[in-house]
Amino acid sequence: MTEERVIERFKKRTVWLHWVHTAAFLILVITGAILFIPGLGGLASGGITRLLHRIAVVFFVGAPVVYMFVDPKMAWRFVKETFTWGVDDIKWVGKAPDYYFGGDEEKMPPQEHINTGQKMWQFIILVTSVVFVITGIVMWFLKGVVAPGIFQWCVICHDVAFILVFLMLLVHVYLGAIHPRMTESFRSMLDGKVSKKYAKGHYGKWYDEITAGEEK
Amino acid sequence: MELSRRSFVKAAAGAVGLFLLKPAASVMARESRSKDSLAMLIDVTKCVSCWWCYAACKDYNGLPETIKPDPAQPPPLSPIVWTTLKPVLSNEEWHSRKHACNHCTDAACVEVCPTGALSYNELGFVQYDKDKCSGCGYCVEFCPFGVPQLESNTVTELAVMNKCTFCKDRVTNGEQTACAAACPTGAIKFGKRDELVEEGRERVASLSKTNSKALLYGDKELGGLHVMYVLDDSPEVYGLPDDPEVPASSVVRKVISWFGVGLTAAAVAGFGLNYLVARARIAKGEEE
Repeated sequence: MTEERVIERFKKRTVWLHWVHTAAFLILVITGAILFIPGLGGLASGGITRLLHRIAVVFFVGAPVVYMFVDPKMAWRFVKETFTWGVDDIKWVGKAPDYYFGGDEEKMPPQEHINTGQKMWQFIILVTSVVFVITGIVMWFLKGVVAPGIFQWCVICHDVAFILVFLMLLVHVYLGAIHPRMTESFRSMLDGKVSKKYAKGHYGKWYDEITAGEEK
Repeated sequence: MELSRRSFVKAAAGAVGLFLLKPAASVMARESRSKDSLAMLIDVTKCVSCWWCYAACKDYNGLPETIKPDPAQPPPLSPIVWTTLKPVLSNEEWHSRKHACNHCTDAACVEVCPTGALSYNELGFVQYDKDKCSGCGYCVEFCPFGVPQLESNTVTELAVMNKCTFCKDRVTNGEQTACAAACPTGAIKFGKRDELVEEGRERVASLSKTNSKALLYGDKELGGLHVMYVLDDSPEVYGLPDDPEVPASSVVRKVISWFGVGLTAAAVAGFGLNYLVARARIAKGEEE
């Protein structure tokens, strides 16, 4: 029997933000990678992909900024949960390999609204976004203004941030949509909801918090 | 023992590096290239600053603004200025050094160009295909001589790079470059690189009798330039870097791009393995 998905994990606007950001991000990844991966550069001829890169970044930066104004409380929670680390997070990291290779779920320390792995992902997104935006501004607007050495190392930093975020993106997609244990994760990013069982099993602390005062 | 071991490690690392960065074919191409490659030899002591090279370049390449510039304010290189003269005060006399693409054997621009728009011609010079250019400007920022030029729209960043073409259409048809053909004093010589290196050395030897600073620039730099200079003073005085290099960052970039591709492949393989193991173990757990 499939469980009824009744617990709201994400607001509608959060789901929208996620997918607008995803679309912009994928365009940035593709148009960036062809300038970076050896042998694909020919696809950038004419510069249209570089123009697309610049259009996409407007949405990549713009979408979270709009969200921040629409729902500052949720935006603040996102930042706060990303940087709030406790003992359970350390324990989680130690037990994660076994868990993701199909080990006992019960052994995992109970998690907040997002688990430690998701915190790492949000952390990488925030940090690399800052690196991307700063180095990107230099490459876009300050070409010929800053010393060539600075420009060159901005290109390198953009590349390194890309490798980091792209690898984490692969992990995110795999765990979010493919991993046999994350049965409701992908659907929750479509309609924002999960079942009680999934919420309890994956985000114990959060489940207790939102159901406190309710009959269980 | 220690030394030989160290040199072995160095050689091995070098071989791996070479394998990663320069496919063997391109190394071989480079060697054959240097044998019968073409070049120019610029002799600053013979230049009289007449600007005919500038006019000839503009004329042949169909670039606007062909009027002789004010020598006190020489135009910098730009998308419509592919060669210019730099006034230089050396040995208490005013000289000019022709400034344009030096057509390096190890060219930073070719190494960093993502689209392959910049490439080595088998005759040695650095050619480019405007249709392939994406306007990214990496060549502009990595060239140690500040040669490639690009004026881009600030918002869209669309642009096409321009620089000296080594008069490709002329030299591949047996003619000399437009600037060399126009030079009335022999300050710009065009010919086979080997012969020009010889000629440059002889000229420097004769200048050295009265000027110990005379030198030939470009015979060794960056694997050998295809535009070399007879100078009567140090390269710095003439606005040429003493020891030009392909910036280390361009090499770093290639290494990390391969590193990234490798990590991605490893990650995808890891997910496959993880999926199979996790699925099997979860299924087993549910049975129990």
